This record gives sequence, C-alpha cells and structure tokens, in this order.
Amino acid sequence: MAVNQTPLRCSVVTPERAVLDQEAEYIAIPLYDGELGVLPGRAPLVSRLGFGCLRLKTTMGENLLFLEGGTVQVAANVVTILTPRALELSALDTKSAEKVLRADLAGKNTPADSRARKKARAILRAALKAPRR
Amino acid sequence: MAKTRELVVRRKAIRNIRKITRTMELIATARFKKAMDRATESSAYTKKIAELTADLAAHAQDVSHPLLQKRDKITRRLLLVICSNRGLCGGYNAGILREAVSHFQGLKKTGTSFHIELSGKRAINYFKYQRIESNASYTCFEDKPKFEEIEPIAEKFINEFVSGKVDAVDVAYMKFLSPARQFPVVETLLPFARIPEGSGPTKHGAGPGYEFLPNAEEILKELLPESFKASLFKCFLDAAVSEQIARRVTMKAATENADDMVKSISLLYNRARQAQITKEIAEVVGGAAALE
Repeated sequence: MAVNQTPLRCSVVTPERAVLDQEAEYIAIPLYDGELGVLPGRAPLVSRLGFGCLRLKTTMGENLLFLEGGTVQVAANVVTILTPRALELSALDTKSAEKVLRADLAGKNTPADSRARKKARAILRAALKAPRR
Repeated sequence: MAKTRELVVRRKAIRNIRKITRTMELIATARFKKAMDRATESSAYTKKIAELTADLAAHAQDVSHPLLQKRDKITRRLLLVICSNRGLCGGYNAGILREAVSHFQGLKKTGTSFHIELSGKRAINYFKYQRIESNASYTCFEDKPKFEEIEPIAEKFINEFVSGKVDAVDVAYMKFLSPARQFPVVETLLPFARIPEGSGPTKHGAGPGYEFLPNAEEILKELLPESFKASLFKCFLDAAVSEQIARRVTMKAATENADDMVKSISLLYNRARQAQITKEIAEVVGGAAALE
C-alpha cells in the first residue's frame, strides 16, 4: 500500500446535485464490463459506467451507492463520477426490478428491453448487498 | 359622506391586495434561493461534462456522431418554449413569447416548418390565442424541475433529431446570467456546436496520459446524449430561477405601488372628511343664524 500518498478523493455528481464528495482508501467502480478497483496513485483513466454498486472503503467503514451508468474520470487521485442517477441502496426499487425479470422469464420481453433487464439484475444484486451492512 | 365611505372601502381593498403581493414577494424570494442552489449544484455536472468532452474530443480521431451532424438544409425545426404556469411575474412570459414568436415567424417565411412544444400554461394559452398549432405541451414544471422528468423529453428530442424528423432543436427560455440580469433567448441545442478542441488536456497536466476504456470514441458517443440532456435540464433550471426573480421584482414593485396608493387615498380621505366636517359646521352655524 502506498503510504505517503495523498488519499483518494471521490466525487459523485448527478445533473441535480453533488451526491457525494469524500475521501476513501479504496474505490470499486462498476464499469460497463465489470468492476474496477482504484487505489491511490492510479494512472489517469476515463471510462463508461454500467449499472451497479459503487463501493468506497473509507476510514469510517464501507459506503455503497447504486449508479445507473454514466462516465468516470480518474485523474490525479480524484475520481469523478458523472451519472444520471445515484441511489442509496435502501432506496432501490426491487419490486419493479423483480417484475422485469419475471416478465423476462415468461418470455415477454423483447431484445430491445435488454437495458431494462441489465438494470433490473444490477438492482437486485445491489439490494442483496444492502442488508449485510 | 358617500365619498368618504367609498375611499375607506377602496383603501381596505388595496391593503388586502398589498398583503397578498407582499406574501408573494416573500415566497418568490424563498423559492428563488432554493432554485438558485439547485442551479449551482447542477452546474458542477455541466462543467465536468464539458471538460470531459473536450478531453475526449482531443483524443478521439474524427468523431462522427449523429448529434454532431449539421444538416445542409434545415427544413424542420423543433422549438421548445419554456414559460411559467402562473402569471403575476411581470414581463417574464411576454419577453420569452416575443422572442419565440419572432424566431418562429422569421424562419417560417423562409419555408422552415416547425414542430412546436410548449411548457407552461402561459405559453399554451398564448399559442392557442395566436392560432399556432403545437405538437406537445407540458404543465408539470414549476420551480423545481426534476431531471427524471426532463430526461424522457430530452430522449424524445434526440430520437426525433437522429431519425431525421427534425433538423435542429431550439429552446426559447429566459437565460439567467446573474440575479440582476436575465434575458430571453432562443438557443439551438442540436446539432451540437463543434466540440471545443485542444482546450481540455492543456488545462491540467494529467490530460495526455488518459487510459480510455473501451476507447475515446465510444465514451464520447455515450457522453454526447448526456451532455444534451444536461444542457436541456439547465435551460429548465435557468427558467425556474428567472421566473422566481421576475416574480419577486414584480411583486416588490406591486407592494410599493400599493403603499403609494394607500398613502394618496388616505390623504384624499382625510381631505374629504375635513370638508364634510366643515360643511356640517357651516350648516349648523347657518341654521342657528337663521333662527335668530
């Protein structure tokens, strides 16, 4: 672990407000094709986000936030996340997500709904993480 | 006698109206502060997105995105007019509508056809009165427009633009510069003006070394629609802030006017009362003199 480095700073911005701006030791970001872990001193990066959980490991414990896509920029130990929506895990709408997946099982959804399906899956997966905290 | 009564009634009516305008002024002030906070919070997003697009554009080789495409001949434009749902805000709506209609009529002459969308009852009524057909209208935007509400509209605009149903998207709204300066504008949001090139990476040292996942073009493609949504959202936020300011200023003026009127009516009333008393005394004196 880098010791003498400045800590990571993470800010999450949505069009409506700045949701979060805090320091963290480690940040796990849901990219479009999987999770990316960021430690202090990471090389600059710009990438697309997928649906999923943003995890921040801070000195106060772990912090979770559900992101609905967007873009991430990592530069000079600052992680900036631009996302249309960021939700607390407790605010997730698991019922409608379940509905989407059930419709999927019943074969009612068209391939065009794949975005909704991905979102529903990510929501349910994130909701599983919620009660353990 | 009748006149003093009348004056008292009028004065009372003005005082009541003054109470209302004063309250409206206070409400508008409170709402303005809230709307202003929201606007500043969202500007972080807009700024960051602009910075990122500039960074990406500098790295992406020859980006071709439907949203960047400038059509040679613009024959169909989409015009969104953002007004308020309520009146009593001075020249706010009139200014926007004047700007919007002159834009509309100027281009109509050159043979451009319009797809018109209206937000706010004031705009809807005005266009109905002018007998200009509109294609869609919204009345759900008050002082706190939500991104969730604007996103579907933005997506609809993007679809119409990409599918070629419209060649340009314009928005008429009150632009907010500072609490003392707002003015009505018609802005073209789509197609995007060219992405500012080269300005991004030079600003901060980390720029050139970016790692792009999957690559700059892909991210830019994702970012452009978001950027359009954010700018449309900003229009709505600006409009909300401007509306509250306009209302506050107007109601302040109305309250001051009411104060002046109450003063002048009080003066008139005192004079009339005095005249009446003098008249009565003269009558009594006259009556007594006649008896002698």
